[in-house]
Amino acid sequence: MHKEAAIREPLILGHKTYHDITEDVCKPIEDKAPKMWYILFGIALVIGLYGVGCIVYLLGTGIGVWGLNKTIGWAWDITNFVWWVGIGHAGTLISAVLLLFRQKWRMAINRSAEAMTIFAVFMAGTFPLIHMGRLWVGYWTLPLPNQFGSLWVNFNSPLLWDVFAISTYLSVSLVFWYIGLIPDFATIRDRAKKPVAKKMYSILSFGWSGRAKHWNRFELVSLVLAGLATPLVFSVHSIVSFDFATSVIPGWHTTIFPPYFVAGAVFSGFAMVQTLLLVMRKAMGLEAYIHTKHVEYMNIVIMVTGSIVGTAYITELFISWYSGVEYEAYAFINRATGPYWWAYWAMMTCNVISPQLMWIRSLRRSLLFTFIISIVVNIGMWFERYVIIVTSIHRDYIPAAWSMHYPSHIDIGVYVGTIGIFFVFFLLFARYFPVLALNEVKTILKSSGESYKNAPDHHTHEETHSNH
Amino acid sequence: MSLLIIKRRTPIKIMGMTRKYWKGLEELNQTPEFLNSKDKEFPTELTVEEFLGDDKLNETSTARRDFLKFLGFSVAAATLAACEAPVTKAIPYVNKPENVTPGMPTLYASTYYDGVSYASIIVKTREGRPIYIRGNKDYGITYGTTNAQIIASVLGLYDSARLKYPIEDGKQDSTIDQAFGDGKWDKISTKWSLVDGKIKQALASSNKVVLVTNTNISPSLAKAIGELAGSISGSTEAAVADKFEHIQYDAVSYSGIRSANLVTFGKSMIPTYDFSKAKTIVGVGADFLNSWLMPTQFAAQYGSKRNPSGVWMSKHFQFESIMSITGSNADYRGMIKPSEQANVLAYILQKGFGVSTGVSTKLSAATQTIADNAINALKASKGESLVVAGSNNKSVQILANKLNSVLGAYGVTIDTNVELNMFKSEDEKMNRLVNNVLSGKSPDAIIFHNVNPVYTLPNGKQFGAQLSKVKTTISTAAYADETASKCKFICPDHHALESWADYNPVTGHYALAQPTIRPLGGTRSAMESILVWAGKKQHGGRDSKIVYDYLKENWQTILPADSVLADAHSAWNTAIHNSCISLPVAVTDAVLTFNESSLTGLAEGLPKSAAVEVELYQKAGIGIGLQSNNPWLQEFPDPMTKVTWDNYITMNPTEMRSGGYVTTYDQEHGLNMAKVQVGNAEVTLPVYPLPGQALGTIGIALGYGRGANGENIGKAAFQTKEYGGHVTDDNGNPKAIGANAFPFVRVLGGAFCFDNAATVTKTEEIYPIAATQIHHTVMARHSIVRETTLEIFNKGEKEAYNPAHTLQKLDENGDHVKRPVSEFDLWDKHPVANVGHRWGMSIDLSSCIGCGACLIACQSENNVPVVGKDEVRRGREMHWLRIDRYFASDEEATIGLRKDEDTFSYDKAEVAAENPKVIHMPMMCHHCNHAPCETVCPVAATMHSNEGLNQMAYNRCIGTRYCANNCPYKVRRFNWFNYPSYKKFTEVNPAQDDLGRMVLNPDVTVRTRGVMEKCSLCVQRIQAAKLVAKTEKRPVDDTDFVSACADACPTNAIIVGDWNNVNSDVREKSADSRAYQALEEIGVQPNIWYQVKVRNEHNQLLSELQVAEHSSEGAHNNKNNHH
Repeated sequence: MHKEAAIREPLILGHKTYHDITEDVCKPIEDKAPKMWYILFGIALVIGLYGVGCIVYLLGTGIGVWGLNKTIGWAWDITNFVWWVGIGHAGTLISAVLLLFRQKWRMAINRSAEAMTIFAVFMAGTFPLIHMGRLWVGYWTLPLPNQFGSLWVNFNSPLLWDVFAISTYLSVSLVFWYIGLIPDFATIRDRAKKPVAKKMYSILSFGWSGRAKHWNRFELVSLVLAGLATPLVFSVHSIVSFDFATSVIPGWHTTIFPPYFVAGAVFSGFAMVQTLLLVMRKAMGLEAYIHTKHVEYMNIVIMVTGSIVGTAYITELFISWYSGVEYEAYAFINRATGPYWWAYWAMMTCNVISPQLMWIRSLRRSLLFTFIISIVVNIGMWFERYVIIVTSIHRDYIPAAWSMHYPSHIDIGVYVGTIGIFFVFFLLFARYFPVLALNEVKTILKSSGESYKNAPDHHTHEETHSNH
Repeated sequence: MSLLIIKRRTPIKIMGMTRKYWKGLEELNQTPEFLNSKDKEFPTELTVEEFLGDDKLNETSTARRDFLKFLGFSVAAATLAACEAPVTKAIPYVNKPENVTPGMPTLYASTYYDGVSYASIIVKTREGRPIYIRGNKDYGITYGTTNAQIIASVLGLYDSARLKYPIEDGKQDSTIDQAFGDGKWDKISTKWSLVDGKIKQALASSNKVVLVTNTNISPSLAKAIGELAGSISGSTEAAVADKFEHIQYDAVSYSGIRSANLVTFGKSMIPTYDFSKAKTIVGVGADFLNSWLMPTQFAAQYGSKRNPSGVWMSKHFQFESIMSITGSNADYRGMIKPSEQANVLAYILQKGFGVSTGVSTKLSAATQTIADNAINALKASKGESLVVAGSNNKSVQILANKLNSVLGAYGVTIDTNVELNMFKSEDEKMNRLVNNVLSGKSPDAIIFHNVNPVYTLPNGKQFGAQLSKVKTTISTAAYADETASKCKFICPDHHALESWADYNPVTGHYALAQPTIRPLGGTRSAMESILVWAGKKQHGGRDSKIVYDYLKENWQTILPADSVLADAHSAWNTAIHNSCISLPVAVTDAVLTFNESSLTGLAEGLPKSAAVEVELYQKAGIGIGLQSNNPWLQEFPDPMTKVTWDNYITMNPTEMRSGGYVTTYDQEHGLNMAKVQVGNAEVTLPVYPLPGQALGTIGIALGYGRGANGENIGKAAFQTKEYGGHVTDDNGNPKAIGANAFPFVRVLGGAFCFDNAATVTKTEEIYPIAATQIHHTVMARHSIVRETTLEIFNKGEKEAYNPAHTLQKLDENGDHVKRPVSEFDLWDKHPVANVGHRWGMSIDLSSCIGCGACLIACQSENNVPVVGKDEVRRGREMHWLRIDRYFASDEEATIGLRKDEDTFSYDKAEVAAENPKVIHMPMMCHHCNHAPCETVCPVAATMHSNEGLNQMAYNRCIGTRYCANNCPYKVRRFNWFNYPSYKKFTEVNPAQDDLGRMVLNPDVTVRTRGVMEKCSLCVQRIQAAKLVAKTEKRPVDDTDFVSACADACPTNAIIVGDWNNVNSDVREKSADSRAYQALEEIGVQPNIWYQVKVRNEHNQLLSELQVAEHSSEGAHNNKNNHH
């Protein structure tokens, strides 16, 4: 059995037994939902439905209901898209990359993080669809054999690569998430008393019996999928960044974008995980499994990726001057001092300064502080995309075409609406799905559980036992 | 189961053939049904009736048949609702009309005259519908020049607000409206006869009949008016004056020129001017490229001498208050108050030529410097110069005459033998009539033809109120406009494109206008009306030939019976074919002698200076408001301010900043309103920051505030709401666009004058402004606009004023070398070079005057939708071609070049100078060979043709807008809404109106919602040209194809053609030393070339920067690479 140093902080606090873990995770599913859940769900649903209403109005009337214009063809739509895709990065990173690196602390958070990823990618995927002028012919972006003659998609277009990248990422993430859910569904199925629930969970668990063969295959598939998903973590946002990097627009046309977008995505993704889990652990009584140490680990990731992002910002600024390209230089001067200076400095403050505070141990272990920073980071990352997209095109080459972007209430409605829909999904997930990978957590109970780790008797006992 | 049954039931005989197989129990049991049907090969089917005959089926609440009916209906209804049925009637030509080939345009030569603009035009019709107007380059006195208003006038033909039949006492006649639906035209004729009877009776019983028209240059109409006069008063001359009076009244009067000439030369006339012969042009408040006298002539003349590579280039000085189109093109521009016009002329006369006039020569220091420059230039080009003054003040015009006569301009640049027959406004007579009406001494009958005095008179409102007291008032207006709606009878005239007319614009030149469509309504030519009222003719009905016959008969005296045109008939046909005929002009007075005594006492007649002076001007789009219901013109961005759908107060931003006004504006930030008061009249309008506006002056455009009392002059003349519908005032009337500035017109020395002393009071109210350009400087970006002076240009070093873009690369020896950007390429060469056609365009920034005719021509040709003020404010105008207007900033040595690299400030570069230089830069799709838009479209909806065109496949477009974002020139336009049907655009977009839709060019697709569109380089015209060449079995010639913009350009600044044709103009232009490509360094390889703007000025700083720096090679290149 894997041994862990005694001084390493345990990952599961308190005297938890295997059964306790099962109880803790299944309790919210089996109990009646608390009143708070209904209130939150109601709020999220109303906001979500408002967003759907805005989208329906948009589709019925035209893209003109947004605040775009002849100069600024993308603004909140693509900002939101990139923002959500970025948020959707943490889950797969946690489940795939950390799995490959055998980071055990991931087990407490990977399930929710993956769920968040999937819902975030849903939200992200909405925007490229609804931002199209003619959604009803949007399927032309797929390389389908057709009756239009020799008409084919344009493989040069980064938007087309986006279609492939996002759909691949979504499918792999979904499969990965679901595979992990199967043994846990089986546990719930076995405990379920109501016939409907039993039937539903037995369908969802695909006949999982917990045999060794099953576990063997489960581990194998997880590893294979992790191997598949790892490059996707890096490809998706790299490709999203190509939407900008391959263009000719100063401020978009930047080779630094792919790594910087990936770092930014992980940055914002982890921040979103923090936001959600800090609330969830409290609401669902999971303090023993998701505790300060987990938060601290994630804060370190935020700090590192935040620093990468900060470095990228400074590099961009330097290069814009060093390149000697007039338009490039102006694009960045304009970002910092032009009409959208507030967006730029909001981005700089939120993304560059705030993660640096995590160097202080007491702060990165403070849950309240973490919660605040996690929200600040996501505000900052939204502004980062807004700054890149809008402040670059609002003043590009031809000054006569320079313009300003003002969002319409539909812009705002659709954005806020997607947040509502996201929470509708997440709340349903929290209510009906095991929010902790309970069977995986059980595997680390003995190596990283507090009661086992800090009980020297226990170890002695084992040893004596074996000596017999 | 069946197997078991068989085993149990089959009678088994062990041996032989006795074993029996059966197919079912029926056979086994030998039932009667089985026996009955056993010999039939096919079973009899149960009939549907039998099957459904079951009574129980009828017990359901919906009967079966009903159900099927419902089902069938709903399927059919859903199907019908799902697809639009655009064609309700499609009737093929069984007998093809003569001259109409479906799909081929028919062109008619005609003439445009609306009292303000005059031009020889060609009307393009398709399947009987006039859809496009362009200048007639082969015949006439206007060199094929038109302007935005003339081109846009075709849309007015299809305005459904035009009256369709005579109106009596303002009452619509529902029975006649019905008659239109039924096609009963005889009912309309009856109505006309009824009204005619009443009018004739009223005229006969009147003590005096006054006919008010705008300046009439039609010889036939003049004759008809004579006949009316005769019929009313008998034949003797004295009696005519007593009983009948014809007053010519122009809304914008030039009577000052005529009266000045009467004093100085003894002849009341307006001579003709030739700007192409003037080496030095001094304009004093005369916007001669836009509104002053005959801009359709002057623009072409002026443009022909603005080419720095020509034999010579004219030098243009302009002194003016408002930054006009003309002023923006001047080489030197001084800012003066309207009252200082005389001072400028007096100063030049005094200082330059020693003529003292008794008029103050006081000028500001800056103006004085420019005036001194002007004096030097005038002296240097004596005899080949021209001074024009815009004021309608007699004294100012006398000073201008004196200066021109000192300069020897008469007989060279001014032709007094060929007189301009336009603008014969009789201001004094008109004022007398107005005063008579106001004081109750009105004549019994007043007929208004082509005038709208209730709107255009300074005291029009009072005049309108008194009109009801006049016994008989008749208007021939096409709309129930401000004046017509107050008249007893409205006898609507045809639209110009529906009627015959003749004109005599200048001495010896006669022109014809011919109808290009059968009248759409029950209107009648005003000439016919007058003839009918004179008792000479009877109402001719829908296809009346009265005017045609009358003209033809009349023209027998005009047409020469010389040997070339052997008989009158062929001469007439030739005249119609060409639309005009020029007769030799007798040269009577070679040089007029200036009457020196006219210089005495000039100062008294001059306008007094005031702290704030308002000048009233005409915008290129709206003019004096004749077409204020024309959405193309309302949405036409003003060439200087780029504002659409409004008039405003122009003020210098320097003054606005000190006065606490807002000076920047965008979608959400409007401008301050201010109240302007002149005497008792006041208007409240937004204040627009116009650099170059003289300090202490403001400008307000005429022509707005039409229909302020809810007169039905067309949907587009009124303000629209954000989600469609008109904005209404307290009375429920639609609100007019802008405010009427005519009440500010003053009468000075008997003439209408268009400047006045005013007081301006700022209000805190903020008003939204819809402008197509909100940033005014080019931020010293040298690769967008390039400018130099004639001096530098003549030194002949291209590198000085038009340096090539170079990049560093390593050569084979590993050394850094500078190579032109064209050598750096990420992509494979696009295979258009030297193969087949490669369509390209060259735009000369020196000749482009920014008039905007190209923009309207493009809109008309390419069915560009109108989107209304709210959408323009949101930056969503759809114009495929825009004209970027850049003001110089104080940070620039000249537009596009930094003054000092070290102290350059972006913040300061954003602010236009107080009196800036201006560049107009037409901007449309550049058809890049390495188009950034093409690579990013996921569905390949935009791609390159093998003729170098960047094409849009609207059908393929899914509307991601990535192409628009990635376009460095920002010329792509997205269909944000369904413009042809969304309610927001009902009031503004002609394509939403059954009649308005008729103006659409059938060769160009109307774009749907959600797709991208942009300039196609008039690909439909390219295709047509290729087809013509193909049928004629010859290669496509350079002259075969011309785009709408190039066609409309009065100065030939835009040239299109086949770049692969080595002899083409565009090829030659692209190799010119002035040729450059905007943003060449980003490597998109556009097919559009610009020509460096050359100003005929001395610019010391520019000489130092461009010439001096060029001599030190390294420093220069350094600069260019790094700014």
